[in-house]
Order: sequence, then C-alpha cells, then structure tokens
Amino acid sequence: MRGEPGSGAGATTGGGAASDLPEAAVRRLESTAFSSGLTVPDFAACLDMGLQPVALVQGFCVMQWGWYGPGSGYMRGMSPYSGGEQTPGAYSEIYRCPHGYVSNEHRMWGQNLEQPWVEGAWAQGYGAAYSRMLEEAGTHGAHGVIGVVDRVSNVADTGTTEFHFLGTAVTVEGGPPPAGGVPWSTYLAGQRLTKSIEAGFMPVAVVAALASVRVWAYCMTEYYMEGTMGWGVPGEPRLVEQVSKAHMAVRQLARKHVRQQLAGDELHGATIDVVTRELSQGDEVVDCTLRGNRVRRFKDFDQVVLPRPTVRLA
Amino acid sequence: MTEQTAQSEPQPPQSATGGGAHDLPKDAAHRLEELEHGLFTSDLSVNEFLLVKEAGFHPLGFVMGSSIYHIGIQTRKWGESQELAKLTEAMYTARELAMNRMEEEAEELGADGVVGVRLDVNYYEWGNDSAEFIAFGTAVKAEDGTSYRNALGKPFTSDLSGQDFWTLMQTGHVPQALVMGTCVFHIAHRKLTQALGSMGQNVELPNFTQALYEARELAMTRMQDEAGRLNASGIVGVRLEEKSHQWGSHTIEFLALGTAVTKTSGEVTLPKPTTIISLDN
Repeated sequence: MRGEPGSGAGATTGGGAASDLPEAAVRRLESTAFSSGLTVPDFAACLDMGLQPVALVQGFCVMQWGWYGPGSGYMRGMSPYSGGEQTPGAYSEIYRCPHGYVSNEHRMWGQNLEQPWVEGAWAQGYGAAYSRMLEEAGTHGAHGVIGVVDRVSNVADTGTTEFHFLGTAVTVEGGPPPAGGVPWSTYLAGQRLTKSIEAGFMPVAVVAALASVRVWAYCMTEYYMEGTMGWGVPGEPRLVEQVSKAHMAVRQLARKHVRQQLAGDELHGATIDVVTRELSQGDEVVDCTLRGNRVRRFKDFDQVVLPRPTVRLA
Repeated sequence: MTEQTAQSEPQPPQSATGGGAHDLPKDAAHRLEELEHGLFTSDLSVNEFLLVKEAGFHPLGFVMGSSIYHIGIQTRKWGESQELAKLTEAMYTARELAMNRMEEEAEELGADGVVGVRLDVNYYEWGNDSAEFIAFGTAVKAEDGTSYRNALGKPFTSDLSGQDFWTLMQTGHVPQALVMGTCVFHIAHRKLTQALGSMGQNVELPNFTQALYEARELAMTRMQDEAGRLNASGIVGVRLEEKSHQWGSHTIEFLALGTAVTKTSGEVTLPKPTTIISLDN
C-alpha cells in the first residue's frame, strides 16, 4: 500500500475491515468527558477556532519486517550477484569496476536499488495504525483529528516495529459531517493550525512515505568510503558518486510517493528524516521518511496583520 | 480483538501510617507552620509567578509528598501477554500516596490548589525492588477568596505551568485534579513456531498489536475514570509515558497523565494572539 494512509488498506488486527478496537478502547470512548493530548495553548486556540475536542484517539500496529528472510519472495533484487528480477518501475543504477579482473574479492559490480518491499511494509504498518486512529475518531462522530503525533519504534527486544498514532479528535461547531464519513487529520494544532486555516488551507489528511535504497558498493565506492584510492593508498577529496546518487534518489523517491497521495492537493509543513544504516565494505541502506500535511485551498488569504517589533526582556 | 486479560481497578491507597491523613513528618509540619506567617516558597519561574498572580492566585508554598514503596514480584507467563495487576496496583498506589501527602501539605496551608505538579520515580541502590515516588508543586490560593477546591472538596492539583494555568483560566475552565491511570503489562515472547511461521514475511503481528493497544487503553480508561469521579468535563494535556523500570524489556508500565478540568462559564473571551518580529539576536 502506498496510497493515502486513510484509505484503510492496512490490515486490521483481526484481519477484518473495521470495529476491531479493543474492549477497553470502546469502554473508554463511551465516556462523556473529553480527553485531549493538546497543550493548554493549543487547547485554547482550538476552542477559539470553534473546534471542540472530544477524545484522545490512538492507533497501533506491530509489524515484522521480513525482507531479509532466506528464501523469501521479498529477496528479489537483494543482490545484483543473484541475478534476481528487479521490481518493475523501481529505481536501480548499476556501477561497473574500471579495473578489470583483479581478484575474486575485488568488487567488480555495484548497484543502487530501491527496496519496494521495505517501503510497502512500512506503508502497511503506518496505514493500519492510522486507520485505527481514524476508526476511534469515527466512533465519536469526530470531524477531524488534530495534533497528530506518529512514532515508529522497536517493541522491547522482539525485533519488531510498532507504528503508534496519537491525536485529538475534534468536532466543528455546526459543521457538516466529514466528506465520505472519514475524519480529516493534521499534524498541526493550536496557532499553527489557526494560521493555516486563516491562510485559506483546510486540512485533508496527514501523509507520509518511506523510501529505501540499498547501496551495494563496487570497488571505487568501497575505497572512497575507506578514505583511500585503493590498496590502502591515501586519496584526495573526491565525490563518492554512488552514495551521493543513493541519497539524492531516496529523497526524490520519498517525494514521489508522497505526491501520489496528494491527489492534486498541496503539501504543507513537510519534514524529512534520513537514516543511514552502514553494513560493510561501503554497503549501506538509506531510508528517507517524508511527512507532511495534505491541505486543500478553500478561500483566499485573509489580510495578514502586520507584526509588531518586539524585544524580549528575558 | 479478544477480551483483555485483566481489568481490575487499582485499590485506593493506604497511607504509611495506616490512616488517611495528617501523617506528615514533624519537620514538614514545622516548615508549613512557618509559611503560614506570610513568607512563601515556590518553584515557579518569574514568568510563571507573574501569570499565576495575573490569574488571581497567590503562591503559598512549595509542597511535596513522598512514598517509598516496595514493588513486589508477580509471575508472568513467558508466551502470554497479560496485565500484571499486582504491579499495576503497586505503581498506582505509590503515586497516590505521594499525591495525597502533597495534598495534605497544601491543606495545611489552606490552599485552593497546587500548580506545576511533577511526579517522579527514583530508584536507590540500597533498596532492591523499592522505589521512591515523589510529588511536588506550588500551593496557591485565590486572592479574591473564591474557593477553587474540586468536587471532592480537596485542593485542585494540576501539572500545568504558570503560563498554561493562566491560559486555561482564560478559556473558562478550571483545573480539578491531576488524573492518572496506569497499567503494567507483560508483552509475550514469540514462540519458535510463531517466528518460523512468519519468517521472511512482512506481516502484522496481531498479538503484539493487541497487547500494546490493550495496555494503553486500560491506562487511559483508568485516567478517564478518575476524571469521571470528579465530574470533570474533560482532560487536557494528556501524556502517555512508557517505562520498563527494572523489570526487563518485556514488562512495560504505561502511564497516562493529564489535568482534569471543568467548565465554569459559557462566555469565553480569549485574547487575540499578536504576530511579532523579534528584534533580539
């Protein structure tokens, strides 16, 4: 799944489509008192905007990522030496050694390749947790979820990954039910959300995507990453082309995946996180996560009040 | 989702001396007596102090409560996710004891409430399986004589800063109490057959998802139940904290904390924020 997280493509815990909330969640959500994860300034801004918080909502999904498993169908393209079939349409670049045959250990072949199976697993976990959060919001008749926080972390020492969503479900005073019955969502809250709406943009959904590129280093990349020109000879500063291109590609791929979720809307407040996991001999995996708010223009900008010059005394 | 493993509510705490109140140490009583003569202490910053005053409250004194609690042992099943009710109860009771003692100190000062409450847990080398739970904050009293005590007749408590306290009052809400819910949960280890069955696949692990989901929901439900007992209209600033303490990575305490609030008036006139350009470096 690489669509909009709210598309519900993520599997539910019971394998069904909906209403798989734990019994404790149902009981909690029946409470008449609202709960919110908003800070007090955000809570105040929320009331000022005509939004009424109804409940702190959450969604989780624990995923096992098994793409390294031996014999797995996810091994496609894991090694350029294996001659495996590349995923159609996925990014791939091949690098060839300029030296000719040197020895069996000499790395004559290198490749940057996108790992769609990793990206798909991430999107599945993210989408499932997100869908569950929206499901909780839906049980409250919420119009939207603001102040969304998502976290991806490891569960104890199990080697699995948890996708964790939290947000504050809100209703809009006198507002119509959300389009398609699916609440809108945004990472924003408080004054940031107020300013975005005043600027003429209504929140649609939080969007995010992971792009993952595996770098199989060839001899030159291996040498450069060691800081040599080969055979231990110190070298001068040089561009490490294969790694540079992997970093460029992973960012572009993340942007492409997110753009596919926008469906003509705009992306605001995007954040980008790049994590590099070094393997050995110049090999590495570069993961890039891009998150942001999908927004839709619904009116022209309000007149912006001129800011007042201020000196803080503290 | 299947039925959860345990839903027992934590029991009301027993104080160290067996009684419900006035078990403050002699030194505490002496310190509070001194504060009653007009001098006040507080851990408020200058800005917080100004805004607490602006909200119509005067700080009376820095108050605290402490409880050193022996956390017992509960057997857990290696391959089964379950709530460890005894540990849940211990963690809840210990915090409640510390909070009660802090409230007693506030009572001694005749406070309407306590702002900026913090809850800490400390472990000492000399006490295996024991932990010190501490609650502290600044007791405040309304300057116009209005009572802001909560539905239980006790001083309100809240973990809001001075700034947040002022902002909350502007929204027409008043704090009732710092409410919390806790759940200590054992996350099952995966059996070899389960691991082999999903080897090499990207799949969701429903047992883990369900266990973590359940544990957090139980903590949040208990927090909301506390708010319900106070007839609160809502809880703001909810935080979900997770710690393994000293139990190993598969046993986790999920703690939900927030400030229960009630609405006082229908009319809310919030000051409009002003956009500024900072001339500081």
